[in-house]
Amino acid sequence: MKKTGAKIFKEVNVVDCGSQTDRKISMEEKAPTIPKRRQELLKWNGWGYKDSKFIVNKDEHVEFTGDRYKLSGHVMPSLREWMIKTIGISLDHRVQSQPELTAADIPAPIKNEAFLHDLRNARISHSDDSQDRLFRAHGHTLHEVFILREGRFSRIPDLVVWPTSHDEVIKVVELACKHNTVIIPFGGGTSVSNAIECPKHETRMITSLDTSQMNKILWIDEKNMTAHCEAGIIGQDLERRLDEKGFCTGHEPDSMEFSSLGGWVATRASGMKKNVYGNIEDLIIHLKMVTPRGVIEKSCQVPRMSSGPDIHHFMLGSEGTLGVVTEVTLKIRPVPTCKKYGSIVFPNFEQGVDCLREIAKQRCAPASIRLMDNEQFQFGHALKPDTSTLFSSFVDGIKKLYITKIKGFDLTKIAVATLLFEGTSDEVASQEKRVYEIAANFGGLPGGEENGERGYMLTFVIAYIRDLGFEYYVVAESFETSVPWDRVLDLCRNVKDRLHRECKDRGIQFPSFATCRVTQTYDSGACVYFYFAFNYRGLTNPVKVYEEIEASARDEILANGGSISHHHGGEYL
Amino acid sequence: MESQSRNVWIKEGDPSKLGALYKDGYEDILEERRHTSDFRWCTRSRNVQFYQYRHPRNPKQIKDSVLSSDRVQYAIEQVIQESGTTPEETENQVHSILDEMAHNLNLSSVRCLAYVLTKIIKRLYRRIYVNEEGIDTVRTLIKEYPVLLMPSHRSYTDFLVMSYLFYHYDLPLPVIAAAMDFMGMKFVGTLLRNCGAFFIRRSFGSDKLYWAVFTEYVQTQMCNGDAPVEFYVEGTRSRTSKSLSPKIGMLKASLEPYFKAHCPDIMVIPITVSYDRILEENLYTYELLGVPKPKESTSGLLKARSILSEDFGNIHICLAPPISIRTFSEGKINRHIHSLSPRYIASLTKDEEVLLKDLAFVVILTQQKHAVISPWALIASVLMQKTNGVQFEELVKDVEWLKRQASNCGAYVDWPGNESPEHVIRTRLLFHSNKLTISDEDLVELKQISPPSHVDNKTSKDTIISTAAMHVMTSLYRNQLLHVFVRIAMVTIPVNSCLQETLSINSLFEQYTFLETILSREFIFQPGKTREDFNKVLVLLQHAGGLVIDEERNIKIKQSVNKYTTFMSIMFKPFLLGYWVVCQYLLSLAGGNLDARPLARKAKQMRIETQQLILGLLSEGIIKHYEILSLDLIGNALDSLVDMGVISREKRIQDIYFVPQCAKVSRIAAKIESMTEVPATHITDFSTFIIRTVTAKL
Repeated sequence: MKKTGAKIFKEVNVVDCGSQTDRKISMEEKAPTIPKRRQELLKWNGWGYKDSKFIVNKDEHVEFTGDRYKLSGHVMPSLREWMIKTIGISLDHRVQSQPELTAADIPAPIKNEAFLHDLRNARISHSDDSQDRLFRAHGHTLHEVFILREGRFSRIPDLVVWPTSHDEVIKVVELACKHNTVIIPFGGGTSVSNAIECPKHETRMITSLDTSQMNKILWIDEKNMTAHCEAGIIGQDLERRLDEKGFCTGHEPDSMEFSSLGGWVATRASGMKKNVYGNIEDLIIHLKMVTPRGVIEKSCQVPRMSSGPDIHHFMLGSEGTLGVVTEVTLKIRPVPTCKKYGSIVFPNFEQGVDCLREIAKQRCAPASIRLMDNEQFQFGHALKPDTSTLFSSFVDGIKKLYITKIKGFDLTKIAVATLLFEGTSDEVASQEKRVYEIAANFGGLPGGEENGERGYMLTFVIAYIRDLGFEYYVVAESFETSVPWDRVLDLCRNVKDRLHRECKDRGIQFPSFATCRVTQTYDSGACVYFYFAFNYRGLTNPVKVYEEIEASARDEILANGGSISHHHGGEYL
Repeated sequence: MESQSRNVWIKEGDPSKLGALYKDGYEDILEERRHTSDFRWCTRSRNVQFYQYRHPRNPKQIKDSVLSSDRVQYAIEQVIQESGTTPEETENQVHSILDEMAHNLNLSSVRCLAYVLTKIIKRLYRRIYVNEEGIDTVRTLIKEYPVLLMPSHRSYTDFLVMSYLFYHYDLPLPVIAAAMDFMGMKFVGTLLRNCGAFFIRRSFGSDKLYWAVFTEYVQTQMCNGDAPVEFYVEGTRSRTSKSLSPKIGMLKASLEPYFKAHCPDIMVIPITVSYDRILEENLYTYELLGVPKPKESTSGLLKARSILSEDFGNIHICLAPPISIRTFSEGKINRHIHSLSPRYIASLTKDEEVLLKDLAFVVILTQQKHAVISPWALIASVLMQKTNGVQFEELVKDVEWLKRQASNCGAYVDWPGNESPEHVIRTRLLFHSNKLTISDEDLVELKQISPPSHVDNKTSKDTIISTAAMHVMTSLYRNQLLHVFVRIAMVTIPVNSCLQETLSINSLFEQYTFLETILSREFIFQPGKTREDFNKVLVLLQHAGGLVIDEERNIKIKQSVNKYTTFMSIMFKPFLLGYWVVCQYLLSLAGGNLDARPLARKAKQMRIETQQLILGLLSEGIIKHYEILSLDLIGNALDSLVDMGVISREKRIQDIYFVPQCAKVSRIAAKIESMTEVPATHITDFSTFIIRTVTAKL
């Protein structure tokens, strides 16, 4: 983001649209979950917390370490066999990551002394420490993580700044314009669209503008059910702190432990409970974005307005190219009194999709409804921890017998929908009834709460499992698309087929793994999420091969009437 | 010590003692049938592998899904709006279209037919050879992707033999697009339906309902992979043994699902079915001469059972390597164009149609490449040039020579390596003894062919017709060879007729292009590949045909005219002569006045009149090539002239009328004259001929 020159947008102070301060709840400040020095808590070359990871323990079983998650500290006895069978890993063939990169391995910072001088005078926190810079040099695409494990970055930010307020951001942007330096905004660092990668040939000084210190909820407006927050607050902190006051935003993308509010805006994020709460664009009442030419914001906080194009819509999805999102006013809701998981087993994926379409048509989708294909169901099954009590496995046994023997379902064909209901207990009960009734028309049988919950746990954990794959020559990635209903089935089948075929054509010797789930439903279509992994043992350039395969899968998606992305962002694809 | 010798592994050392069960990658599937019980074979359990994403359906369910499909429902609504029929009527129309169209493939009927068929086939044919590699490929592919079978079409037998083959190898039985001709036959129509035939009208123009039902019926089976879909890209049986220009309607319908991303890919398998002797040789011959084919009827079929006592030799079936439509269209087609409207409404784009036309040509050229050329085709080619007979010894020499040339061009000649050439040729002569005589002095001569039973007595007594029949029937077999040499001949003809000492490559190419254009209805040329083909032929001719090109890239004529180039040119001479006569006929319509506007005529009338003219020329002895009488050749010439804009088409109320443009016609005629010898007869003479023949008819 390079800019010089005069502001054209006049800085607009929020005009008081009749707000009364007395109904606003102000929030005390609290330290964010992720510290300023991210390296203290987070892995340097993989996903998530340092203490949480999949390992192969001394009994050669897969175990998840730490105690943060439900799965933490548990062994998953069937996961190893699943990995061997499905992607052809071998425990004898391991590849370890390179040792942690030091200052010597990292390009020396380019320094714009005048800029640094003015920054110091403005008393804005900044650092050119190599680890600080490295941690803000990448997102989590396969390509970036692979560089961390095996390679070197040729260009990383030269400086990290931590503004603590909207005004400090204005200052930083002004100085950058004045001294002709580059700013890359950085939120939670979970980008999967290469948006925070530094341009290789950029010779000007690159500053990573880390918004993490702008993490306050400035006020909550109970009358209007809105909350005004700084954009650097991360998802889990936002929900936790709103929860203390009895509210929630309901925006829960799978990355919500780490991703930030500003990042959601910049990438047009989508949360799994969007059926009740809406996607980010539905949640936003007001935005402030600092651009090189001034601050853009609306002059009121109203539910809707008609005065030309909605300026929110070019801030949304701008992925840091147009400015820095600093403050956001969001809709909030009271925390629901009842939350309940559920699941439906379908004889096959096709019937599952038909059922989801019907549910969408009748507009009775619960907060979340997802349909996993058979491969993903099997995967989820392999992740079952050893702790299931005697009783629950007994129940499982009966259920399995019922489904396969009495209902004639084929375990290698079934698809499972996971559900999350929210509301009052009466509402939940009536929603459940309606959904299960519709499901019955499509051959679906209720599959129990536990299966549902495990499905949602899977998405949090799956990000970690990629790092285990790396250790055994497996590269894995996810991508997603938005597609009209009439195309969903064809798209899922064709894209998976294309992935397998491209692997075969490229001489990959082991079976490849491709799976998908319908993860969001809309009136006119659905979001489909793919996981794809293959064992690259024997290939010299796995990332390049992976990228070629992914590119052809994206071509296939487009040919099948899908979009380039539903919520990951795609400016750089 | 002997047990250590490698020879202990060899069961039979003498190749001549080996059976002919296997050869050159081909396997005979009849052999086994001659040794084991047919009944058990027909009732055995079949372990068939289907397309991986297939949902099993029966024929009734397929019909139901067509009825309830978006496409058909949409068409019904449109028709109701446009023509004001009631929903009930329209729905009934759809039902009757579907009932007329749909197959009723069921295994029990197939088993019954298989039982009868195997008995018949064993009597008619000696062996049915199939390339095993092709079968192996199909076996794996059928599980992975929907499969489209595209066999060549030379005989009704194609249809039966293909299904027989798939039954034999435990492959899913194909459903076959057939023309309506059969449908009227009692029992047979039903029987074929039960064995997977579905019936398509030959033309259905703008009938929306029919289009919708047809498209949906084909596509739903394609996408679900209910069965491999089989159809003939040539549209109809080729009566001449030459490949016909592709019809792409059915190809479009069946590949559209790929472009609309209904399925991950579709595999097209070109298949060549080559016959030693064609079952319908007699019928074709007289049909080509203008004696109408008998209507397909069950009684006709029963009458034809006399052929059961005849020997039709071997059939070779070659399944060529599959063509993936994904790979074929890679980088040429952007499929996402179809995401902007519902897939059941939009049709294919121009680019896609062009691509499919290209594919259709590739399929036919692939079929040609994998054709099995019988020694008899070589013999026929030589005999066609020696209509006064030839000594056996000389025949052997010429045939062997021709065999080498064909092999050099990449043709596969079915020539048993363990037999002497004399033996090979003599057995083939005996095998085709219905068409020739061998005198005590070993002179081989073609003989007159008696017409099939339905031909009236008057025609059958006409000697010109019988002689023509003899020529035309032999040409059916010579024609098997023509695709191998046609490009070569298009170079040798200008070379042989060149009056200068040298001929520049450029003007040679110009003449080559002219020949390709005018012969494009007669032979199969891939559009847009003229230059490439030409260059390939030049290289080949320099190596194998004695073509001499000097440093300035000029052909040296004297050195280049030899037995090879002459033989090739003569082989194709009848075509040029025929086209020339057609031109003369057209010119005569304006009485030889190039500026006059000749009377318009219907195409059919033109064909018949030209044929009459040729009859006259033959009886006067002005021309000697009887095969020109073939209506196929005359029709091709007229169509080609239409393509070239030399004849314009006029639509008058219902029928299409042809109007030749004399100046252009005369230019074409002059060009042909410059390339081949033509009778020194004037156009005015032709007019009188026509008058004479017409009056004779009166």
